[in-house]
Amino acid sequence: MVKHTIPKNLNEAINYLYQGDYQVIAGGTDLMIQRRNSADLPPLFNSNLLYVFNLEELKYVIKEESQIRIGSMTSLETLLHHPDVPKLLKDVIGEMASPGIRNVATLAGNIANASPAGDTLVALYLMDAIVVLSSVNQNRYLPIEKVILGPRKTCIENNELIKEIIIPNHQFTQTSWVKVGGRRADAISKVSFAAAVTIDKGSVMDFRMAFGAVFMTVVRSRQIEKLYKNLSVKALKNDVQNIVFHYQELIKPIDDQRSNKTYRSQVSQNLIEDFIRKI
Amino acid sequence: MSNIKFKLNGQDVDLNLDPSMRLLDVLRNHFQLTGPKEGCGEGECGACAVLLDGHIVHSCCLPLANVHEKEVVTIEGFSKTKRYQALADAMLEEGGSQCGICTPGMMIAAESLLSQNPKPTEDEIRIGISGNLCRCTGYNMIVKAIKTASKKGDGLW
Amino acid sequence: MRDISKSIPKEDHVEKVSGRALYVSDIKMDRMLFAKTVRSIHPKAKIESIEIPELPKDYFIVDYKDIPGENYVKMIFEDWPIFAENTVNYIGDPIMLVVGKNKHIINQIIEQIKIEYKILKPMFDYKKSVINKKFTKGNIKKAFVKPFKKVSGIYETGYQEQAYIEPQGFIAYPEGEKKITLIGSIQCPYYVKNAVIVALGCENDEVRVIQPTVGGAFGGKEEFPSVMACQLAVAVRKIGRPIKMIYEREEDMEVTTKRHPSKIKLTAAVDENHHIKGIKAYVSLDSGAYMGLSGVVLARAMIAATDAYTIDNLDVSGDVYETNTVPNGAFRGFGSPQMIFAFEMFMNHIAKELDIDPLPFRLNHLAKQNDLTSTSGIFRDPIIMEKMIQKAMEISDYKNKYKAYQDSSVFKGIGMSWFLHGCGFTGSGESTHIKAKVKLRKDKNNQVYILVAAVEMGQGAKTSLKKIVVQTLDIPSKQVTFNNPDTDFVPDSGPTVASRTIMIVGGLLARAALKLKETWIEDQEMEIIENYQQPEYIEWDEDTMQGDAYPAYSWGVNIVEVEVSPVTYQTNLKGIWSVYDAGKSIDDRLVLGQADGGIAQGVAYGYLEVMKHEKGKIRQKTMTDYIIPTAVDMPRTETVIMENPYILGPYGAKGVGELTLVGGAPAVALAIEQAITKKVKKIPATPEYIMELINHE
Repeated sequence: MVKHTIPKNLNEAINYLYQGDYQVIAGGTDLMIQRRNSADLPPLFNSNLLYVFNLEELKYVIKEESQIRIGSMTSLETLLHHPDVPKLLKDVIGEMASPGIRNVATLAGNIANASPAGDTLVALYLMDAIVVLSSVNQNRYLPIEKVILGPRKTCIENNELIKEIIIPNHQFTQTSWVKVGGRRADAISKVSFAAAVTIDKGSVMDFRMAFGAVFMTVVRSRQIEKLYKNLSVKALKNDVQNIVFHYQELIKPIDDQRSNKTYRSQVSQNLIEDFIRKI
Repeated sequence: MSNIKFKLNGQDVDLNLDPSMRLLDVLRNHFQLTGPKEGCGEGECGACAVLLDGHIVHSCCLPLANVHEKEVVTIEGFSKTKRYQALADAMLEEGGSQCGICTPGMMIAAESLLSQNPKPTEDEIRIGISGNLCRCTGYNMIVKAIKTASKKGDGLW
Repeated sequence: MRDISKSIPKEDHVEKVSGRALYVSDIKMDRMLFAKTVRSIHPKAKIESIEIPELPKDYFIVDYKDIPGENYVKMIFEDWPIFAENTVNYIGDPIMLVVGKNKHIINQIIEQIKIEYKILKPMFDYKKSVINKKFTKGNIKKAFVKPFKKVSGIYETGYQEQAYIEPQGFIAYPEGEKKITLIGSIQCPYYVKNAVIVALGCENDEVRVIQPTVGGAFGGKEEFPSVMACQLAVAVRKIGRPIKMIYEREEDMEVTTKRHPSKIKLTAAVDENHHIKGIKAYVSLDSGAYMGLSGVVLARAMIAATDAYTIDNLDVSGDVYETNTVPNGAFRGFGSPQMIFAFEMFMNHIAKELDIDPLPFRLNHLAKQNDLTSTSGIFRDPIIMEKMIQKAMEISDYKNKYKAYQDSSVFKGIGMSWFLHGCGFTGSGESTHIKAKVKLRKDKNNQVYILVAAVEMGQGAKTSLKKIVVQTLDIPSKQVTFNNPDTDFVPDSGPTVASRTIMIVGGLLARAALKLKETWIEDQEMEIIENYQQPEYIEWDEDTMQGDAYPAYSWGVNIVEVEVSPVTYQTNLKGIWSVYDAGKSIDDRLVLGQADGGIAQGVAYGYLEVMKHEKGKIRQKTMTDYIIPTAVDMPRTETVIMENPYILGPYGAKGVGELTLVGGAPAVALAIEQAITKKVKKIPATPEYIMELINHE
């Protein structure tokens, strides 16, 4: 017999998770579709359900000196219009799905779903986001790349709830977000690309790139990025072919009903070149 | 667990139903509200759209539990308002409804948009209805209708 | 008297905008059961055995053994079974229905059904031709003797899924002792009725079909609903209770009819004056597992072989190939979109080969009044295409943009397509198959009832047909009633297809209304019947495909402007302009609405909508994966309606329903061609295809 629980606050929620096994469900736009049954029938959930969508205390955006903290149940639509949310994240959200989905979707839902094509994940990886996992014992603070392990796989324990996402402040001089979907709204990405640079007096102080939908998880390589820190912009631009070459090793797209690997590879390459050209 | 309590089209309701049920099924089967439709069952077409605390949501992928202590308005409830009348008149004037299956969802999307942004640009209107698919109109006349309603319905939103 | 074109409020507006309109899925009945279809999982197989679990009380299996009449769905080609008997021919081929009260239990039963298949080798290539057609014009041999230049091209088009927002569905229920009534999302009440009569082997008055509100159709609900209707009618006959069957989206996308994929080869013989002396055209259509209407689709495609142009010598042939995939069928345009895409691209490619400006080249071949059509009929009526082309170019600033976008470093393009659409059924269909009949009934209170089988599916048929009657009778609108067709009360005025509703059915209603007006007796019951009469001058030979294929033609010009990203190869639509001649619009706003919707589908067919199968399995079967335009994808569309009244049409009207789709694909494909400076030969011209073209030097 499936148990359905709507906790009244975070404390209740993590206590439930401590006491039993639950499938946590936030907005529902991923899970309700993944577990769909025939029309008129309830979805096929085989476990107890913990509905955290209405935890008001997890709906906030707090600006601190060096970072912003986003409550895990804040809707993407709220983030889209919030003055303190970084531009890059807004660019991503603005091109995602549709208003009806954004009104109930959350960063927490995106993270827990860990889709290889998740757009917000690309921005969160690029911006060194930290995910705060709460349980009765502790709060764990993990970089996002340690939380997401593979398609639909995370390191989130059964007794943990995503409480907050922390995004450190950045002073990027230029950011870019390109979502390549089948159409201009309501589309799953074939390839997605986030990039950022901080240029000071012709020198590259910070250089980052992240790719979505071209591997099992978001592709980001601090190793490659390190190679280009402290170079001149000119040197960076001259080395664009090497940059492309480095990323080609990591970008391993597939053929599926949306697109093919040749296209995804080629477009990833073009996006790198285009971004660097425009610096 | 305890019942799901919420406001539906202005009335308080108290339900002892499976909280994981799709809101769409609860509306259509339990309350006989057939305004929201099933066009795709995966949150893509918007024919199932309703207002949740004034914002558009796709009821085909929202569990009943998520409306607990909130307010749901379907096209049936919305059609009793002055804002609805302004939109409905504009839709008639501009030709925004052909087969009509997407129309309730479009009306909900329009209300959700205009209540946040009473004087949207054409681009903003298109984004506002980007989650509502229409196969008959090519969207042109729907966009015009929303623009007309926002112009003529001065003070309503 | 006011100009009929002036728009009036839409008849069914209030119920649709308020959500009160009832579509089939909204209808519930006492003691209603649900049905779900069990389908083949193999593209081709023999059914060796079927093991059914023990059924709980009031749960039923319905299969071919329960068919009282004949196991085929009455359609033009009678090869489509209601339920498979011992072979299955595509993934999704229906084998049986499971019927019962609770969907959960139905699902459980289906899980326990064991079907043993002997897998056979499926065919996916164009090898087995079931229907072949051919016609010629002039002297093709002579035309190809030592041509100055010979140009060839092969063009391919993919599936297009109608993607009506309301999925297909029916409720069928017993009425009295022997009668079965069906309510369904349909275009053709009498197609359904006649198919069910064959399935049940029953009398004419034992089947009734009622049309509810229909949420879009576009041809997808022309013949396919008859399949569902026969299955449900057989089930109701067996079980004796109301049964509802509504397809969910994936099922609908996977198993219902789609636009025929095609491969078209065109060869032209051109003389030294850049005049096309002759064209050989070969059309192949993929029919899927059953032929259904495919022969008529082929005919229309072949007849459109020279599109809006006059070519004196022709050799046109075509085949419909059977493959082990989902059977294909009617979709707005019905063979024309495939052919017009191929031909318009070909005209432009010939110009490229000759290294000449395509515009004057095309103008030189544009059809004119009194020219012979492709099938050696005559374009009897005035053709105003030159004026339409001028207008379209003016409102879009075509000439300046075309010149500017010729610069290959600019990834922008503007494309213009010219096209026609034959109105009404191809050939002698109206007089030999349909024999349309309309009725006007007046009661003692002088209320006039329009009794026709025409279905309002969003195109505004209810409003425009009523308008014709109101205007002719010159009485207040509320004195005329037009209820949704119910075969118990309306005669067979024919199916709601082939752009015939205004021209043919409306034409008959105008004549009936005129008769009623002239013979009107106040406060007395009256009934006027009008039967279709083929205009005498129309001569058509079905076997040789010679003569007037259609009584009238509507014409159009589409211009599409695009920008292609050299980084992502995606196409962005910047503008769409259209000019149409559909004779006279019965209601301007309704025609403009058809224009907006049609071009969205036509253009998306050209660059956006992708459906493919892999070994017979459809890969894109959700609204997420089968991509149709959103409001953000569409630019504003601008349309001009030009009048060119047709003598035999009601108030001068011709057909318009399909016209507005058939030119969209070549217009966007030509724009993309200019933007990327490469020839486009396949649609949809997706970013993946564009990348291939750009990178293939």
